[in-house]
Amino acid sequence: MGLVIAIISGKGGVGKTTASANLALGIAQNGIKCVAVDFDIGQRNLDMILGLENRVVYDMVQVMDKEATLKQALIKSKVSDNLYFLAASQTKDKTALESSKVKELIDELKSEFEYIILDAPAGIESGYEHTIEFADSAIVVVNPEVSSIRDADRAIGILDSKSQKVKDGEEVDKYLIINRINPKMVQSGEMLNSEDILDILNIKLIGKIPEDKGVIDASNQGKPIILDKNSKAAQAYKRVASRMCGEKVDLEDIESQKDGLFSKISGIFK
Amino acid sequence: MKSRQYTTKVLEIEIDSKNSSDIKDFFNKNAPLFSSHLIVIKGVISDEIREFLGSKSINFIENIELKQRKESKRESLLKDNLIVKDSIIRSGQVVDINGDLLILNRVNSGALVKVSGNLIITKLVEGTIECSGKFLMLAASNKSSITFNGVKVDNSYLKDKLNKIELIDDEIIITPILKKEINWA
Repeated sequence: MGLVIAIISGKGGVGKTTASANLALGIAQNGIKCVAVDFDIGQRNLDMILGLENRVVYDMVQVMDKEATLKQALIKSKVSDNLYFLAASQTKDKTALESSKVKELIDELKSEFEYIILDAPAGIESGYEHTIEFADSAIVVVNPEVSSIRDADRAIGILDSKSQKVKDGEEVDKYLIINRINPKMVQSGEMLNSEDILDILNIKLIGKIPEDKGVIDASNQGKPIILDKNSKAAQAYKRVASRMCGEKVDLEDIESQKDGLFSKISGIFK
Repeated sequence: MKSRQYTTKVLEIEIDSKNSSDIKDFFNKNAPLFSSHLIVIKGVISDEIREFLGSKSINFIENIELKQRKESKRESLLKDNLIVKDSIIRSGQVVDINGDLLILNRVNSGALVKVSGNLIITKLVEGTIECSGKFLMLAASNKSSITFNGVKVDNSYLKDKLNKIELIDDEIIITPILKKEINWA
């Protein structure tokens, strides 16, 4: 049976969909059969970031309503044989989701795939609740800023009270990704550091992703940044994906990294 | 008029006025033990017993019911309805407790903790606190909103260290507790 991981954030625009695309691809590159599911009904974007927008024929709502089979709706990635994608409906809204139908879909995906990555919508409305309802674990994506942290805190609170696993007396594993870290701003005290964020959210850290301008271009071109060998964000996503696959990869301290000429020269003498 | 205040030991007894032999037997045996006590007798006693107690040089007052002291301060601080919460109180969460509450974790920004009794929070508070008890103990950041017995407390006094906030004679007293004194064991 597959493992269902919801990628959540509470706040919009923190990099949830980018993280979903890159982690799903990273897991697939580790040789694990994985599916990325866009749960953002009415505002789907994961298809674009994965570069699969022109191949969407059927969506998950049609599968849930039996208008199409799961096999018909699943789209195979162009870059990895292990990665599949299930699109959200763009024409319907979040009220199209029903718990029983969501469960049926998730159960079917669990029988087909080892990892099921659910890209949650922003906010804490019904669409979010349906995404986390049958999740085994969740990855919380935050930016190092107070509004993102508070919204993530709220989203975790809802996860801890409304997921089926919690209702059954179990605990949903929660992991944190701190996205768009700007080392210079952290060092100068303008940006929250990881310790402060972990103190507030009190969940396990699974990765830190540095700010990388290449991410925007990669998303625009439909090529997840993880495919770019020279990107720092790509390396960070690869490390997170490997951790998700059970590998022991040490956390890199990207916050104290320096890029300047002086630091490069001084680095030689270390 | 001259007045003096004493602290004395009191033996409160309730007797059946029809049967005077019981009290006579008791004081015949135990009079030396109570020579410095004040004997407070509930109800009216007969002339016979009054004379008997006088003959034994026992200090007594009759037909008096002493007012019990309400409850000691210590007892009031440790009610048996104390609730302990070990989980983090997250944004959007509301904890509304009728009684005393001990929180062994953070209260995050956007969370609300409302307590009718006393409240102790051992980790940083960044949310909203409404406490109506006799005391409140916490360390709060400037993001927090603290209301104690209907009065908003200036959180700039509550930063970085544990503080005890008490209501004494209708005045709110904030006492910082030094870190070295905290020993939660």
